[in-house]
Amino acid sequence: MADKLLFDRIDEPGLDTIEVYKRRGGYQQLERALRMTPEEVLQNLLDSGLRGRGGAGFAMGKKVSFLPRGGMDKYLVCNADESEPGTFKDRELMQKSPHMLIEGMVIAAYAAGANRSFIYIRGEYELQAMKLEAALIEAREAGYLGEDILGSGHSQTLYLHRGAGAYICGEETGLLDSLEGKRGNPRLKPPFPANQGLYQGPTLINNVETLATVPHIIRMSGTEYAKLGVENSAGTKLISISGNVQRPGNYEIELGMKARDIIYGLAGGPEPGREIKFWFPGGSSSPVLKPEDLDRGYDFDSMARAGSMLGSGAIIVVDDSNSVVDVALTLAKFYRHESCGKCTPCREGTNWTVKMLERIHAGDATPMDLDIIASVQDQIMGNCLCVLGDAMAMPLSSMVAKFRDEFEQYIEDKRAAAGLGEIPEPTPIEIAGAAA
Amino acid sequence: MAEQSSAVARYGHGSRIPGWDDSVDLSKDPAVVPDPATTPVPDELRAQIEAAMAKYPNFRSAAIPALHAAQDLHGWCSPTAIEQAACVMRLTPGYLTAVATFYDMFETKPVGRQRVYVCTNISCSLRGGKEMLEAVKAAAGDDPDLNVRGFECLGACDIAPMASVNGEFVGPLEPADAEQLIADLKEGREVLPDKQLSRRACADPGARSDG
Amino acid sequence: MPRPEERFVTFSIDGREVSAPAGVMLADGAKYGDIEIPVFCYEPKLGAPVGACRMCLVEVEGIPKLQTACSTPVKDGMVVHTQTQRVREAQNSVVEFLLVNHPLDCPVCDKGGECPLQDITFGWGRGISRMVEPKRHFRKPVELSPLIAIDRERCILCYRCVRFSQEVSEDYQLILNERGASSFVGTFDGHPYVAPFSGNIVELCPVGALTSRAYRFRARPWDIEGSGSVCTHCPAQCNVEFTVRDERVLRVLARDNHGVDDGWLCDKGRFAYQAIHSDERITEPLVRNPDSGELEPATWEYALDVAASAIEQAGSSVAAIAGGTTTNEEGFLLQRLVRAVGSADLDSRAGLPPVPAETQRALAAPALQATIPDIEFAHTVLLLGTDPIDDVASLDLRIRKGVRRNGVKLAVATSRPSALDANSRLWLRYAPGAEHAFVAALAAAVGGADGVEALCEKADADPKAVAALAQLLQDGGEDVVIVWGQRIGAAPLPSLLNLAAALRLGERAGAGLIEVPVGGNARGLREVGVQSNAGPGLKDAKAGKSAHEIAQQAADGKLTTLYLLHADPVRDYADRRLWERALQGAEAVVAHATLLSDALRATATVVFPAESYAEKEGTIVNLDGRVQRLRPAIGRPGSVRAEWQVLADVAKRAGHDPQVLTGPIVTQQVVAAVPFYGGLTLEEIGGKGVRWQERDAASAAPEAPAGPFEAGEPLAAPRPNGALRLGTYRSIWAAPEVEVSPALKFLTAKQQAEISPVDADRIGVDNGGRVTVSAGDVSVLASVFVRGNVPAGTVFLAEATAEQSATELLGGEPGLVEVRPA
Repeated sequence: MADKLLFDRIDEPGLDTIEVYKRRGGYQQLERALRMTPEEVLQNLLDSGLRGRGGAGFAMGKKVSFLPRGGMDKYLVCNADESEPGTFKDRELMQKSPHMLIEGMVIAAYAAGANRSFIYIRGEYELQAMKLEAALIEAREAGYLGEDILGSGHSQTLYLHRGAGAYICGEETGLLDSLEGKRGNPRLKPPFPANQGLYQGPTLINNVETLATVPHIIRMSGTEYAKLGVENSAGTKLISISGNVQRPGNYEIELGMKARDIIYGLAGGPEPGREIKFWFPGGSSSPVLKPEDLDRGYDFDSMARAGSMLGSGAIIVVDDSNSVVDVALTLAKFYRHESCGKCTPCREGTNWTVKMLERIHAGDATPMDLDIIASVQDQIMGNCLCVLGDAMAMPLSSMVAKFRDEFEQYIEDKRAAAGLGEIPEPTPIEIAGAAA
Repeated sequence: MAEQSSAVARYGHGSRIPGWDDSVDLSKDPAVVPDPATTPVPDELRAQIEAAMAKYPNFRSAAIPALHAAQDLHGWCSPTAIEQAACVMRLTPGYLTAVATFYDMFETKPVGRQRVYVCTNISCSLRGGKEMLEAVKAAAGDDPDLNVRGFECLGACDIAPMASVNGEFVGPLEPADAEQLIADLKEGREVLPDKQLSRRACADPGARSDG
Repeated sequence: MPRPEERFVTFSIDGREVSAPAGVMLADGAKYGDIEIPVFCYEPKLGAPVGACRMCLVEVEGIPKLQTACSTPVKDGMVVHTQTQRVREAQNSVVEFLLVNHPLDCPVCDKGGECPLQDITFGWGRGISRMVEPKRHFRKPVELSPLIAIDRERCILCYRCVRFSQEVSEDYQLILNERGASSFVGTFDGHPYVAPFSGNIVELCPVGALTSRAYRFRARPWDIEGSGSVCTHCPAQCNVEFTVRDERVLRVLARDNHGVDDGWLCDKGRFAYQAIHSDERITEPLVRNPDSGELEPATWEYALDVAASAIEQAGSSVAAIAGGTTTNEEGFLLQRLVRAVGSADLDSRAGLPPVPAETQRALAAPALQATIPDIEFAHTVLLLGTDPIDDVASLDLRIRKGVRRNGVKLAVATSRPSALDANSRLWLRYAPGAEHAFVAALAAAVGGADGVEALCEKADADPKAVAALAQLLQDGGEDVVIVWGQRIGAAPLPSLLNLAAALRLGERAGAGLIEVPVGGNARGLREVGVQSNAGPGLKDAKAGKSAHEIAQQAADGKLTTLYLLHADPVRDYADRRLWERALQGAEAVVAHATLLSDALRATATVVFPAESYAEKEGTIVNLDGRVQRLRPAIGRPGSVRAEWQVLADVAKRAGHDPQVLTGPIVTQQVVAAVPFYGGLTLEEIGGKGVRWQERDAASAAPEAPAGPFEAGEPLAAPRPNGALRLGTYRSIWAAPEVEVSPALKFLTAKQQAEISPVDADRIGVDNGGRVTVSAGDVSVLASVFVRGNVPAGTVFLAEATAEQSATELLGGEPGLVEVRPA
């Protein structure tokens, strides 16, 4: 495994101060980048093959290249609204090495030609906001932010913006609306933020980890960075492991590492005597995988081939002491709570799904309800304004599909407990006009 | 209209949502942008909001910072708090209400000033988060100074089950910690110092090598 | 700002080749191929699409995901499918989701039968429900305002109403609270949603969630008929559709006309229809009994004879005044009669001073006339001495739209703080009554002339602000539209014309002037000759007396007969006491009225029952010269007769038979008498009206004199010296039709003294306290309204309120008043 990049001696005391950060070579990559042309910096980003670390995995260099050239006001926004259940990597990074993010942001903004930048941090991260606020003051005083940075002619403002508790603000357009002082409703795309984002100006939006990786790309050069990891999944990745493992926490791995080595090797696997029932490979929005998928490589393509996704790199392990129905209900309730309410399928679909799962929980359901649940998830997928609806529908579909037997057993047991007796013979619902 | 229908049985089932049954009060005036001439705003709050407005190309971006400031001052986003923020920002109170009700951290009903958010999302619930919430609620009792809430994922699943106590993340918690947590809070002590996330080292052994 | 040019593109939809204007959204473009795509949240009037309801998902070849037709512009060569299995599944799904919590209470729902949700469920739904969970139930309906009830169970959260409040009327009172499935439409802290355009949300709502409290349960869609006409309550002349059941108007809806109202109505236009059916309506002729001295019901024959003989006997000492709701036809017949008996004492200017015919002709030059849609596309719009929200309501929305969507630079120059200040690039204030000095200063600043400072001093306007405004007008782009209020009076008009010439407004199609008159059809009445110094077509005519002179003469007992056609000068015109004496002093007062004012009850000799605007036939002229047609929607109540006929009958009995047998004959006479209407027919006017400037006959417009115009020497605004300057305005809610409409009664304007915090402190009064405002021995009572943006040294009062009207204080020159705690 390669040396740590982002987590290199992350616990070193005082790393959150500019003094220690600089002593360790901090801001040298910024100086180097500012001596290059923006096009050269962009080329390094393109060469690196770095894919966004927030969840969607879009190539970062390409995203930068989408911004129109020209003298208009352009913006860089760092998405630090880390809210995907199971994800907590950006938190550790911002808290312990805030200057790495700032350095990455100035370099990225230089490549994109953006002069105004913001970090949108979730409101609950109060300690991290304080650390960043302090680091921003230091960076401004040191001349790494402001007018004519290091004599390069590049000027940049960078402000921290605290959110106030809404998962949907992690969706990039919801984040933009929130940053503009509105309810954090996602916007219709197109137009995409690269053309019309914050205040209608071209906007680059990247995750904390993505931006913090940028100084390392400059240090190594894009082509060298690209040698880390596996095809289509270059570099190292911070992963957050949680749930039923013995050593939950953040780990930096080289992409392509076997999932089993992460879950059992790094995180110690489930408590002795317990087996993994299923696991979310990329946050609670990713379709669940079963133990037989553990020998796959942990990278974008392998997870996609397994029918799931790498997402934010958050692995949640569920062992056999838990009921899949309980997890499904917790999950569905979360998405109902976080749906912004703007579009119909998400707002009503999450709400309806919760009601059905609650009925299963209460012992007043039949297996036919599982078909309706599955059908409702299908009706949500692909029909929503943003991906939040899909974020519930995908894992929920996978749970119902992969654990149908357990759901049915649960329904039967609950009915018995509720004294409702045998399940009646189902009467198929006839749908007028629908194909048989 | 009010009295008769609340007694009707059919309203007893289905989900209840605060606000949906509410009529407006016709004796009130429409809520337009508050006139500075008739809306007093504490100087410090005004200064905080104006400083926030200056940070952004469009002053409306300061809506969330303004509500944070107003909530800090008033304890919750009370109508007065919102009117004051709206007056400084030259917006209608409605604008800020729409924003305030969207976000979980803004309280639109009076609550205690001491915040305890207990995570009940997946990773925490797999390790007893929901039981933890019950334990903390029980320990808190009906102390009006405490605001104990279940919360969605707070981004600290490595210390599951966890809670955010006035912004300080603590965990992994056990039900037995609940009493101590509440006691620390009531006494004004640091809350569960051994369990504070801010003091925790990175889990990755590689990251610690020469730290 | 150039308007987008219309270009057509061709695309394929469900196998049909369809041609539609480039840039329109697929949801609209499909209609060009007779294909309907269902929508809920999409409403182009509300601005950019939001794609929230997901009802309009369609398949576009080459794009893997289904696309929302509301937000996908049509493109050449696009191939669209709206009928595939995939699209149908998506549509079925959205309908099913919408019905998850929508109650199926259609049988008792006011929207039933005209409900888009019903229609779309029928057309695009699956027809069954798989949802067995209990639906949510809430108390319903609850009040959202005195005008609107809200039924939150039925709301499908399409966002239309909140978008209207936030992005069209910009009052930002109506909001979405909470999030997700808990989201609901409401207001801040239980305040009612009361704003001048609130009623539009009822019409926008695609389900029965927002209903008009005035219309609820009054009719079912199969009971009613729609009838198109035009609202005459203000000069905006918005196009309306009356909902009629059993000869009663039960509702007013917008009848979208981009050239006039852009599809919106104010709440007065929407709810004041109730005045039509008021119990106080006069429905038969009234004649004063010489014995008892009381007004008593009379036969038509008798009433017509009394009126005719009053005119015949008075001869040249007849004077007539027409109010704003008078049609061209009625006004034309009136002026013909008055001129026939040898008088020229005619007025329709709401008591404002007359404008020399030369000036009028210069202002009426077609090249100088901006259109209402020009406001939306101009580079710069200057509001001069008018606040649209009070003077011409729907124009307020048009200006906001231009600023918001097209980046129009708005400048506001008024004495009273304007509702549009917040939207403007710059606003400035001058002293009330100092319009002449202000416009002269502005014209001088634009023309580079000397004396700007001195004129600013006279107007008490900030010279820097005037310079900035001059610069904005000159450098902000060529298309400048100046929207000016008739209330600024006659004296500033030569300077206004000089300003227009300096800005070359006559040379560009998108630039020009728009006058906001006082009174619904004021422009038409002047064009057909209801004024003392010009005849039909603004031609020279024998000079007569203006309203104010008429009043003085009548008060002095020198006027024999006063004819008041829909005019209530005692309430509406300056110097109330003079008018009271005038009505008492006239030997005979003949009036047409729908409601009996106190003044008429005390002094009228004959009162003819007037038609309401829903009963009238005729034409009126909009701000920008658009001739529009009023069409009767209901029968006339009681023995009310067509007023053109009443006027013709009076004239005939007075020996001047106008030879008219039908309404359209009068229209023909009007057209024949006004050269620039030449050849206009009712058919040509049609449902949308026609601007006379755009017809060939416009070349027959009177020749406009060339400038420059002699600006005259403006008076200086009085220095307060401890007193306060009095400024007045006319609230949209200060009108009898508001007072007698039960739904609107709560909005009735009450007298408020708007003063600055400084003056409130000095006088020692608090917000809401009572004060007496007096000028000499006259005073009115008002409650104090402390406003941070009122200039110190000035107090503003409302005119034409039912009681304590500021017109009491407007006896002489604009002056100073004393304000004291009452």
